[in-house]
Amino acid sequence: MPEQPKEYVLVNPTTQAEAANFNGAPRLLTLAGARIGLIDDSKRNADVLLQEVAEVLRTRYEIGEVRWHRKPSASRPADPEAMKELSEKCDAIVVAVGD
Amino acid sequence: MPDTGETTTVRWADPLEAIERCYDLGWTDGLPVAPPTQQRVAQFLACAGREASEEVGQLPERRRRVTAGKVAANAVMAGCLPEHFPVVLAAAEAMLDPVFNLVGPSSSLGGAAILVIVNGPVVQQLNINCRANLFGPGNRANATIGRAVRLILMNACAAIPGLFDRSVIGHPGKYSYCIAEAETETHWTPLHVDRGFAPGQSAVTVFAAEGPRQVRATGHPEAILYSIADVASSLGTSMSTSGSVGDSAAGLRQGQIVVTIAGNSGLWRDWSKDDVRRYLHQRIRRSVADLKTARVLPGPVAAGDNERYVSLVPQPEDILLVFAGGEEANMSSVIPSWGPKVGSTAVTKEVRLP
Repeated sequence: MPEQPKEYVLVNPTTQAEAANFNGAPRLLTLAGARIGLIDDSKRNADVLLQEVAEVLRTRYEIGEVRWHRKPSASRPADPEAMKELSEKCDAIVVAVGD
Repeated sequence: MPDTGETTTVRWADPLEAIERCYDLGWTDGLPVAPPTQQRVAQFLACAGREASEEVGQLPERRRRVTAGKVAANAVMAGCLPEHFPVVLAAAEAMLDPVFNLVGPSSSLGGAAILVIVNGPVVQQLNINCRANLFGPGNRANATIGRAVRLILMNACAAIPGLFDRSVIGHPGKYSYCIAEAETETHWTPLHVDRGFAPGQSAVTVFAAEGPRQVRATGHPEAILYSIADVASSLGTSMSTSGSVGDSAAGLRQGQIVVTIAGNSGLWRDWSKDDVRRYLHQRIRRSVADLKTARVLPGPVAAGDNERYVSLVPQPEDILLVFAGGEEANMSSVIPSWGPKVGSTAVTKEVRLP
């Protein structure tokens, strides 16, 4: 005769992403005159791609000042100091992953 | 029952069904696991004197917080014994240290595994293999501690193949990759002592690693080291490529490297670990001509490029030298790091016992 199933309590070995609530920056109504930050992940050609993006934004949308931040390694998170400065001095930021 | 963290209630009638339930829950590495019952997890936590809710580390890029309870559940599933758990905890703590930058090696196309190297009295106490068949199967402590690290990566750190783990080919060490140093059988300074711990302490070093390349050479220390240097200098390792170099002056992914040397300590009586590291560091290099031909460095090969060399390892200390393997001196191994030193650096943590 087959055994009857019994209940077992297992500890869940997995985790879930725990994201704190945050308020996104208000969407820009226009790019004209906007201060744009560019984060280069330092992979090959990320700089080439971002320079082109900046050029397109300048000629088509007449953006304002551009700030550049280059990470020391693509694998490392961006420097919190640099992120803070960019968030204070830019209206929008573009991140590029080269390769 | 002490707190063990979040639980799931399942039903089964026999052991095979229990294993299948864990597959259904998506908790395995592809092989059968031991179900992480609340009793067994509590036993592990008690063995290390830890609370389930105690934080072991965080992986901020994936918004994950890893607790001792999660580490214990994965160690149970890997088939560990309760006394292996403090070693697994130290490995988890080490790989979640920001210096290690786990998000890189656990997601990159490079396909790294986390090599775990155990040192100190715990090696003998837990019978962790440091001799014949060093990277091979057959010993419970090595097999299950290494496997626990992989299950922690998959379950608690979201390094799931196809999701965050984007390895192009990976390697077999991703199932389990745990060794120890045969430090009682050599005059060499143990790895953890080189890295700042006392000989009486037990410690775990984690290293984001490619697979081991076996190096067959014998007879004389210099013959063995010359061959090791040749293998470590080959094109096609992470260290001899140039993607994601960042602002490195060398233009290459210079990185750390693990070298294991087997055999009898007597053969090395005239050599210290420092001597070996210096010898290797001078010779682990590649000519600019070769690097340009392989398109690692840009530009056409120029006059003199055959005589100009680039070092693949930043400093002699970046060679992690481990005396381990069988008693024959024929086989060494070279394990290049997954990435440049700026991307991930080996981390050593003490194994804490209650």
